[in-house]
Amino acid sequence: MTAAIDIPVAGGHVADAHGDPHANYLKARRGFASWALTFDHKRIGLMYLTMVSIAFLAGGIFALLVRLELFSRGKTIVDAETYDRFFTLHGAIMVFLFIIPSVPAALGNFFLPIMIGAKDVAFPRLNLLSFYLYLIGASVALLSIILGSVDTGWTFYTPYSVQTSNSVISMTLGVFILGFSSILTGLNFLVTVHTMRAPGVTWVRMPLFVWGMYATGLIQVLATPVLAITLLLLCAERFFGIGIFDPKLGGDPVLFQHFFWFYSHPAVYIMIVPGMAIVSELIATFSRRAIFGQFAIAMSSIGLAILGFLVWGHHMFVAGMSEFSTMLFSALTFLVAIPSGVKVFNWTATMYKGSIVWASPMLYAMAFIFLFTIGGLTGLFLGTLSVDVHLTDTYFVVAHFHYVMMGGTVMGILGGLLYWWPKMTGKWHDELKAKIGFVFVFIGFNVTFMAQFIMGSRGMPRRYYDYLPKYEPFHRASTIGSWILAVGLFITAYTLLEALWQGKRAPRNPWGSAGYEWMTDTPPCLANFHDTPTMTRGPYDYHLATAEELATGWDEVEAETPKG
Amino acid sequence: MEPTTAHAGHSAAHGDGSVSGGHDDGQVHAHLSSAQFYWGVFGALVVLTIITWRVSYYDFGPANVFVALLIATAKASLVAAFFMHLRYDSLFNTLAFLAAFLFLGLFILLTYDDLGKRAQVDPEYGGTVLPETGQNAPGGLPATTATANEAERGEAPPGKGVGKKAE
Amino acid sequence: MANVSETAAVAAHPHHGEAHPDFLQHHFDTPAQQFSASKLGMWIFIATEILMFGGLFCAYAIWRALEPQVFDDAHHFLNKIFGATNTVVLLFSSLTAALAVRSAQLGKRSETSAYLVVTIACACVFLVIKYFEYAHKIHLGLLPGHCFGHPGFSGTIQNGEETGTCLRVHADQPGGSPEWVRAVDEDGRVQLLPPRANMFFALYFVMTGLHGLHVLIGMSILTWVLVKNLQGKFSKEYFTPVDLGALYWHLVDLVWIYLFPLLYLVGKPE
Repeated sequence: MTAAIDIPVAGGHVADAHGDPHANYLKARRGFASWALTFDHKRIGLMYLTMVSIAFLAGGIFALLVRLELFSRGKTIVDAETYDRFFTLHGAIMVFLFIIPSVPAALGNFFLPIMIGAKDVAFPRLNLLSFYLYLIGASVALLSIILGSVDTGWTFYTPYSVQTSNSVISMTLGVFILGFSSILTGLNFLVTVHTMRAPGVTWVRMPLFVWGMYATGLIQVLATPVLAITLLLLCAERFFGIGIFDPKLGGDPVLFQHFFWFYSHPAVYIMIVPGMAIVSELIATFSRRAIFGQFAIAMSSIGLAILGFLVWGHHMFVAGMSEFSTMLFSALTFLVAIPSGVKVFNWTATMYKGSIVWASPMLYAMAFIFLFTIGGLTGLFLGTLSVDVHLTDTYFVVAHFHYVMMGGTVMGILGGLLYWWPKMTGKWHDELKAKIGFVFVFIGFNVTFMAQFIMGSRGMPRRYYDYLPKYEPFHRASTIGSWILAVGLFITAYTLLEALWQGKRAPRNPWGSAGYEWMTDTPPCLANFHDTPTMTRGPYDYHLATAEELATGWDEVEAETPKG
Repeated sequence: MEPTTAHAGHSAAHGDGSVSGGHDDGQVHAHLSSAQFYWGVFGALVVLTIITWRVSYYDFGPANVFVALLIATAKASLVAAFFMHLRYDSLFNTLAFLAAFLFLGLFILLTYDDLGKRAQVDPEYGGTVLPETGQNAPGGLPATTATANEAERGEAPPGKGVGKKAE
Repeated sequence: MANVSETAAVAAHPHHGEAHPDFLQHHFDTPAQQFSASKLGMWIFIATEILMFGGLFCAYAIWRALEPQVFDDAHHFLNKIFGATNTVVLLFSSLTAALAVRSAQLGKRSETSAYLVVTIACACVFLVIKYFEYAHKIHLGLLPGHCFGHPGFSGTIQNGEETGTCLRVHADQPGGSPEWVRAVDEDGRVQLLPPRANMFFALYFVMTGLHGLHVLIGMSILTWVLVKNLQGKFSKEYFTPVDLGALYWHLVDLVWIYLFPLLYLVGKPE
């Protein structure tokens, strides 16, 4: 009677006793061990989600501390050295512990197999290993706080990083381990997409979220190893003084920057491509239309992945590179704006004459387009060599990357979480609270970072503890904005958590989406689909979807709840 | 009995060329080389090793490195194609392997290019010059003095003095 | 929906039997799918290893271009005979690894074990030769960074007088910067190496050291595969771990194929 689909589980070859494979994955097996030793990609995704949320909280607290210190000139709450540590930790935690793993490891792990009709990722055990590597790497990195804390900035530039406090080694080793976690996730996704697509899920039809995860996987696999060797060389430089980055010993400190940015520039595409992938899904569903130029958007993700490897030198325009290289990298940087433009145009075209639903995820998608466009356009300012000479290392740069990373990816993440929360948890959240949270987030974000664009263009340098009086109003505005933003984020977090405990049961397809993931149960059963589907249409083909597929199921839920 | 899952149009599941074309039973059919063949490849590798050793005694000038890399690449190709079965595997495996070299090459090329074109200011000519050759650095500050302009026109000796690295 | 799906599910995945053997993991539909996924995964991993080592080759390229004379002089301190022997040893071990996979494909268990043992033995030989090379360099004080020419490592030190195979030529400088080293190289010539030569040895030790670490890891993997083979886990239908372990070993060989000429052989012949 119990179906013979075997559930992947640690330690057991066959697990039929503890868990009906057709049961909800959250309930199929219980207990701490069933989570800690799970091979189920959905559970691993949720564990990752929990961890990156904690990382986001930690990084956010450091951000608030940084902004609090900058509220007034001179010392506000801490001294300069501690301030250096605060912004280093904010950057390192946000980049390595939050934003790089967030979408791929949390939402990607959860939804990629479902969206291609597979039962799991290709290597579930590697998946669990990558989660534990994340935990270990994060612990080692955060150990640096106890050991005296790093104050080099998240970029660890030599020669300072070779000479400064001891904790550089633990931070770099931690990041090294986190890098392997990232590589394994990317590897898993690439192989899964190549070998485990269900019948009918052709490359052309594949959901754009999957294309985004695939492109991200490409970058993770090709770029992260170079970070690994960079960090190893930095540690060797510290331990043995091998001299590779030390001019006294015949080395070159700018070489470190080449090594570092060869990874870190593609890394920013690891950060943004998943956010864009989420937005594609949101816009299709909430315009209730097929995505305009679906294959073009897919190819633009791949284009970003590849072009992103050509432009790392634009972080080094004033570092001491040869003039020829600066010109070359500047020219190449303009190329990389093209795929992003393709996406923005296609999203807008999708919305034209669509049936727009202004649900909270859609609000975040709109915020993404607006804020990412601003961030992206300011990137062109920074890519222009002559202008960058003035803007480099000012708050203009800080505002630029916060607009693309936070105004971009974080908006995408929040939208994606609100969108997929019912599917993942089976609970429905309060849309009103979510929208109120959105308003605070949007306003707070813009107040915080628009002020930074202005003061940056007027010369306020970044990473500075103290500043001239003329910048004080901007810093104050920015700090107040950060508080508004924090309120918005807390409201959103509260909305999601409240849903877990007090939310009503979510229907199978609350948004009426044609996407593949909405064809499964809510929440999905252990094996994702009761039997492997054969897809006969694309995930955005509203004109081909049957009424049954698009049925939200709200009426069933309404009928169940006692109060109307 | 078999439903849609296992094989229907499932090019993904059988994407690996090591599953020979005609077999659609889902079983693994990997290419098998003879032991003799492997020994032959080993022999070729040893021969190439001897060649690379002998060749190191000749001086081809700047081409030394390229000759060495060429022979090394020949050896690596033999190992990859035959010992590692790339020749008989899915094309995508080869693509993954080559992609690594491609991106690595990109990294080395642009970094090397940067270090090769680092310039220094030459006070005599008022512009930036490449240390070894004394020529104007591409993209750098143009020479501003009369002597430098003469040099441009080929009427005076090129830059000298500045540019020697401190010993 | 439940009934239809259950029947279909039972039909799709009979518990143990022809269509669903023990080695087939549950998220895969067929052994062929599992095999091609595993191979692809391994090749992507190999690509990441190439990129990681590649960073070191980039550093090599840069320094060779910056200091060609130092490279030419310093590389004579590497023993070409040892290097060439190691190359042939690794090539041979690659052969035996490939033969091990072949035997596994044919289901010949003891032959597979034999070939794996030979491969692991070759790895040990490689490491022993490496040990001798490293020991010699440490003795001469040809070490990276601050240790280069350090009196603690050199042979007999007498200021200005040649008494042994290694000698510090310049007097102590404050701050512990590396010293010039005069020593007899592997070709028997007396050489004077500038302090910058520490960079060559830095690259030598980091590159061969990282490679040596991978040799150790490869040996462990192959030992694990050997143990599993002795336990009878592999067959004609399922030999994937042997294949993947051998692939890792071939990667180790590939890196050495490039390391050997670039470190030991390239430079102006006298």
